[in-house]
Amino acid sequence: MFLDVTGRDDASTNSGDHRGAQQPLIVAKNMTVGYKLHRERKLLTALRDITLTVNRGEFVCLLGPSGCGKTTFINAISGIVLPWEGTIEVDGAPVTGPGPDRAMVFQDYALMPWRTVESNIRMPFEFQKLGMSKQQIDERVERYLDLVELKGFEKSYPYELSGGMRQRVGIARALATEPTILLADEPFAAIDAMTREAMQSELERFVTKTRQTVVFITHSIDEAITLGDRIVVISRRPGRIKEVLDVNLPRPRFDQDVKSLPAYSELRERIWSLVKDEALSGAHGEE
Amino acid sequence: MELGKGRSSVRGAWGRIVADTETNTPTDPKSFEDKDRIRTAGFSVGGLWDQYGSHVVTVVNLICFFILWEVFARSGVVNKVFFPTASGMFGTLWEGLTRSAPPDAIISGQIIDHLLYTLRTLSIGVTLACLLGVPAGLLMGGNRYVEKILSPYVWGMASLPRIALVPLFILFMGFTVKMQITIVTLSALFPIVINAWAGVKTTEKSLIAAAKVFGASRTNIYVHVVLPYTLPFIIAGIQQGIGRGMVAVIIAEIFGGSNGLGFLITRAADTFNSELMYAVLLLLVIISLSFIKITRMIEIYIAPWRQQVVM
Repeated sequence: MFLDVTGRDDASTNSGDHRGAQQPLIVAKNMTVGYKLHRERKLLTALRDITLTVNRGEFVCLLGPSGCGKTTFINAISGIVLPWEGTIEVDGAPVTGPGPDRAMVFQDYALMPWRTVESNIRMPFEFQKLGMSKQQIDERVERYLDLVELKGFEKSYPYELSGGMRQRVGIARALATEPTILLADEPFAAIDAMTREAMQSELERFVTKTRQTVVFITHSIDEAITLGDRIVVISRRPGRIKEVLDVNLPRPRFDQDVKSLPAYSELRERIWSLVKDEALSGAHGEE
Repeated sequence: MELGKGRSSVRGAWGRIVADTETNTPTDPKSFEDKDRIRTAGFSVGGLWDQYGSHVVTVVNLICFFILWEVFARSGVVNKVFFPTASGMFGTLWEGLTRSAPPDAIISGQIIDHLLYTLRTLSIGVTLACLLGVPAGLLMGGNRYVEKILSPYVWGMASLPRIALVPLFILFMGFTVKMQITIVTLSALFPIVINAWAGVKTTEKSLIAAAKVFGASRTNIYVHVVLPYTLPFIIAGIQQGIGRGMVAVIIAEIFGGSNGLGFLITRAADTFNSELMYAVLLLLVIISLSFIKITRMIEIYIAPWRQQVVM
C-alpha cells in the first residue's frame, strides 16, 4: 500500500529541506482576473489585486464564501484563465497556458464518463507530450491506480463507482503525471462526511510523499485547518485577499488530540470571525 | 493509535462502497444486501420471475386483448366492414407477408412488397438526413457564426409541419419516389440537427476544463470530449428522425404513389378491405416499436453512463 513515489524526475527539485527553504514557486503580483459574460455583454471581475506567494512544498488552503473567485484563482494558476492585470508566475516563468507541471482535482470529479477508470488516469498522457514510452506510461498508471487503492476497478466506468471512488480516480489522474503543483477545487465537497475525512488523510499522505505543492480550495474551516500550512481568506466578489494565516499545529491533524488544542480552537474562532461577515453580507447579494 | 483507528474506518467505508458496485467480490461479507443474496442464490422460481416476469405479463395482456377483440368483433355489434376479427387481421397479415406477388403483376396486392418499398424509401431518406444533419448540427454547435447563420432556418423548418410541404413537392417532382424521399429526409433532418447541436452546446464545462488543464488542444477537446459527449444525443436525434420519417413516408404514400404501405392503406379503405387495413396498421405499430427498441439498444451499448442518469 505504501508505494515509493518519491523518485521524481523533477530537475529543479530542491533536494534539501523543502519546507525550511521557502523557495517561491507560485508568485501572483497585483493580479486581477475576470470573465466575459456572453449573454449580458459585460465584464465581470472575479478577483481584484491579488498578491500572494506560494512556496515550494507548501499546502495552501483558499477559504472564502461561494462565488468569491477562489476557482478563478486556481484557474489562473492552471493557465485556463489569464490575468487581465498584474502577473502570475510559476517557477519564475509567467503562466501562458496549461502545462504538465500543474494538475487539477475538480469538485464534480470531471471524469470522462465514456472512459474507464484506467483510461481516465491515462488521459493526461495522451494530451501532453511528456516524452514517455508506452511502457513507462503503463507503469505510471498502474502505480497510481495502486496508490489510490483502485486495483480491480481498472475497467470500471465512473458511473459504476461511488463519489469517493470517483474522486480517487480524479486524484490519481492529477498525480499520475507527477506535477509540481496540485490544484484542488473543493475536491471533497460532494463526498459524504465519513469518506471525506478518510480522503483528506489520504490526500495528505500522497502529497507528503510526492512533495507536491498544493493549492486547495475549500469552504470548510476545519478542512482548511486540518490540511493547510497556510490559509488564505478571500473576501466576497470581487475577491481580495483578506488575511493570510499560518497554521502552526502538529501534523497529522485528524486526531481529536489536535482538534482539542487551544491553538486549534483559537485559529478556528479567528477564521470564523473573518469569514462570518463575508458569509452574512453575501447571503443576500449572491450572484 | 488514533491514526490507526482512522485508517480502519477508511477501510470500512471503502469496503461498503466496493460491495455497492456489484462488479467485484465484496471485501466485507456483512455488507451483502439480502436482495442480492436471493438473486445470486442460483436457480429459483424467484430468479426466473425476476428475469422473465415482465415479458410474461406483456404476452398474457396482449393475448387477452386480442381474445376480447375477437369476441367483440364476432358479436356483431359493429359492422365487419369497419371492424374485422382479430383472427382475420392476423390471417391477412401472415398471408401478405409470406406470399410475394407474381412477377407479371403490375401492382402488387401483397403486404410484403409494399413493406419493402416503404422501408427502402424510409431508410434512404433517413440516411440522407443523417449525412446532412449530423455534420450540420456539429458545425452549428462548434462554430458561433455557422450557428448564427443557420439557426433561423433550422428553427423555421423545424416548426413548420413538413406535411404542409407535400403538395409543393408533388408539384415539383410529381408522384415519384424522389418526392417521397425528399419529404422523409426533410422530416427526419431537423430532430437530428437539433439534437447534435444541443449535444455540442451542452457538453459539460467541467469536462472541457479538465481536458484543458491536462493539456488538450482545441482539436483534442473536440475529438475527445465534445464528440463522445454528443454521440448519445445524435443517436437520440436519429431515433426521433426515424419516427418522423415514418410518419412522412406513410403520408407521402397516401398523398400520391402506387406503392408502399400508405398506398396499401388507402387502397384497402377504397375496397372496404378492413382486414387488410388493420393488418397494415398493426404492421406499422410493430415496425415503429422495433425501431425504437433497436435504437435504444444501440444507445445503451454506446453510452451506458447515460442510462444511469435517465433512471
